[in-house]
Amino acid sequence: MNSPTACFHCGLPVPAGSRFQARVLDEPRAFCCPGCQAVAEAIVAGGLDGYYRHRTENASNPEALPRQLSDELQLYDRADVQANYVQHQGELAEACLLIEGISCAACGWLIERHLRTLPAIAEAQLNLSNQRLQVRWADSQLPLSQLLGELRKIGYVAHPYQADQAAELLQRENRRALRQLGLAGLLWMQVMMAAMATWPEFNLDLSADMDRILRWTSLFLTTPIVFYCCTDFFKGALRDLRTRHLTMDISVSLAIGGAYLAGIWSTVTGVGELYYDAVGMFALFLLAGRYLERRARERTAAATSQLVNLLPASCLRLDAAGNNQRVLVSELSVGDQVLVPPGHSLPADGRILAGQSSIDESLLTGEYLPLPRAVGDSVTAGTLNVEGPLTIEVQALGAATRLSAIVRLLERAQADKPRLAELADRVAQWFLLIVLGVAAVVGLVWWQIEPQRAFWIVLALLVATCPCALSLATPTALTTATGSLHKLGLLLTRGHVLEGLNQIDTLILDKTGTLTEGSLTLSRILPLRDLDSDTCLALAAALESGSEHPIARAFGRVQPAAELISHPGLGLQGVVDGRHLRIGQAAFVAELSGQSAPGIPGDQGQWLLLGDQQGPLAWLVLDDRLRSDAPKLLDLARQRDWRVLLLSGDSSPMVHSLATQLGIDDARGGLTPDDKLAVLRQQHAEGRRVLMLGDGVNDVPVLAAADISIAMGSATDLAKTSADAVLLSNRLDSLVQAFAMARRTRRIIIENLGWACLYNGLILPFAALGWVTPSWAALGMSLSSLVVVVNALRLSR
Amino acid sequence: MPALYVMIPIAIIVVALAIWLFFWAVDSGQYDDLDGPAHSILFDDEDPRHKAGVEQAADKQDKNPPHA
Repeated sequence: MNSPTACFHCGLPVPAGSRFQARVLDEPRAFCCPGCQAVAEAIVAGGLDGYYRHRTENASNPEALPRQLSDELQLYDRADVQANYVQHQGELAEACLLIEGISCAACGWLIERHLRTLPAIAEAQLNLSNQRLQVRWADSQLPLSQLLGELRKIGYVAHPYQADQAAELLQRENRRALRQLGLAGLLWMQVMMAAMATWPEFNLDLSADMDRILRWTSLFLTTPIVFYCCTDFFKGALRDLRTRHLTMDISVSLAIGGAYLAGIWSTVTGVGELYYDAVGMFALFLLAGRYLERRARERTAAATSQLVNLLPASCLRLDAAGNNQRVLVSELSVGDQVLVPPGHSLPADGRILAGQSSIDESLLTGEYLPLPRAVGDSVTAGTLNVEGPLTIEVQALGAATRLSAIVRLLERAQADKPRLAELADRVAQWFLLIVLGVAAVVGLVWWQIEPQRAFWIVLALLVATCPCALSLATPTALTTATGSLHKLGLLLTRGHVLEGLNQIDTLILDKTGTLTEGSLTLSRILPLRDLDSDTCLALAAALESGSEHPIARAFGRVQPAAELISHPGLGLQGVVDGRHLRIGQAAFVAELSGQSAPGIPGDQGQWLLLGDQQGPLAWLVLDDRLRSDAPKLLDLARQRDWRVLLLSGDSSPMVHSLATQLGIDDARGGLTPDDKLAVLRQQHAEGRRVLMLGDGVNDVPVLAAADISIAMGSATDLAKTSADAVLLSNRLDSLVQAFAMARRTRRIIIENLGWACLYNGLILPFAALGWVTPSWAALGMSLSSLVVVVNALRLSR
Repeated sequence: MPALYVMIPIAIIVVALAIWLFFWAVDSGQYDDLDGPAHSILFDDEDPRHKAGVEQAADKQDKNPPHA
């Protein structure tokens, strides 16, 4: 069999010679990693293997989910940390958990069932749309950290979620919107029956008595629609009148208010047309449009809130006796000693007291290779300790750190953000001006010809030209497009992105983590002896497989070597097929054969030597690789004639070699966040509209100030929250598709606005001549709204 | 025509009832998750109580065959 088998749990390819197996659904299955195997075993042991029968998507790989250390989780059991998340009612505690790793509906079933089998759980209910789990349990029997551990066991990561006031308000508003929509729908149908019976088109020979009863009935049924369902339109119109803006709300309020008041007049006097059904229809159509928009926004908000890790930052503090204890970073004070294990980020600015390691500063500076640091060196909060444990003396905390300086820069930069005008707003203004002008002229003319009809004709004109279709035109298109983009892996978090993407003429790119993968990958193998590069790679992979070091990820997973020993800061040693091997720094490897270490033949990247007892075998070069789809993005930029700038904090020659490779003329390296922001301001001063694509903390000020900013899915929390959109898929070609989608959306919006204006323009002369009756107005309006909505739905394909 | 004098008040009462029911459903959170319940029905076969119910019903049928 040539193609590798897919992991039964997560669907990733199973590496050759893997021994991760378990019996699921009465058959032995292969897994890609011990994580998937353990999760599958836990699921089967719980009698929940029905999950595998019912799922429609593969599960997420448990090793791809964020790591939570058990002593870190135990912070959640502290009363002061819990106060924000957990409510206590007698014996039972109640909390809302945000779940990561849900891929399909079967996950919901699995989570609920697994929790309900635990005796301490009283109730567990998962909301699939926003992926929140409401759980009530006896926390004297099962501490919160163990509850999270149980979820981890079946392959999901949970964070306590603080149901803050904003979220509660959102839920209240949501329910209110749904009530308004439902009430409008139910009442409109009744009003339609009563009001239509009075229309001459249906030619019913109603008795005068009956006619009066039907008029009063429809008035009675319309009143709640106007005063309950339409309050938001009236409030909006008032607000816009105060700020002297002409908007869609004013138009809508005029039509609804006018039709309702005229309806009262004609009900009381018994003469004139009834437009009650038009009131109901406006209310239902417009509220439905807004409800859909709200649901899309809410889904985005739910996805956004998952981007940020909620666990308060913690670290290991050393006491006088040298024992470490996990404390919150907020409890640290200057002069404390902190232990930072490899793979963890530094909690504070400080000086190294003990240990030797390399520090990955790429998120802060854009420098793509970890830099070696030893005793006495200064280190910065927010950077990542790569190799060995470090003991650090805290020198600056919180607002005094370099990281906070960048955050302050971010706040200033946000004020610079220019606002892109939205098409629909401009159209609505012109539309309203024209309609009001025409209505005034028509009213005056009819006043001269036939004063008693003038009012009814102006009313018919206002109702017939109510911008129902016009106000559905943009939101429906934007909602559908946002949904389609989310499926592509681009999450829009601010409203102006889709329209703004069409106005861009300058592209600013970050290097590390944006154009490149941001992690070290194997770029070259130089064999030094008789073994070919494939064999050398297999040997290196066997050695690295036992290591947790970030470099090890570049080699993939295979059967680890025997007798593995890790020498922090130097390398690894082990035995493969009876051959003693070492990999790592040249001097360390050469020591095994007793020869002198060979010199490193190149300068770019990280050079690892592989050797055995007879001498060195091969050089392995690790480098930060260009994303394979980066040229596509650059092609698009050239096609659209954009100015492209590469701004990197990295001062290595890699910036320029990458720029030449991609054909970017303007590449600048070694920039501080301040410098980057200055470049952006200069572009703005030239009147350019800038799209910024970045991922690191050093990009954050520029992300905040750019016209449109997109953060990579692998970016820091701060970058993701300050950007307008997040590229969850981490694939630059999703971005290329997004540009195409933005163009299509713009075309659909223009088409929709065209349709709506065409309908209004066509019906205007007939209304001015006094030929439009309520029935024609209703027909025209529903048809034009339908056309607009169906047209917008084309974007979902 | 006189029937309308009765039908209209009845229609209004029915609508009022429907609205009350709808408001109650919204306020008790039945519309908060519009995705999950659509799928949860598929997992009934895995529910031991559901299975027990189905078996019980099958037992009864065995005891009283329709053509006995």
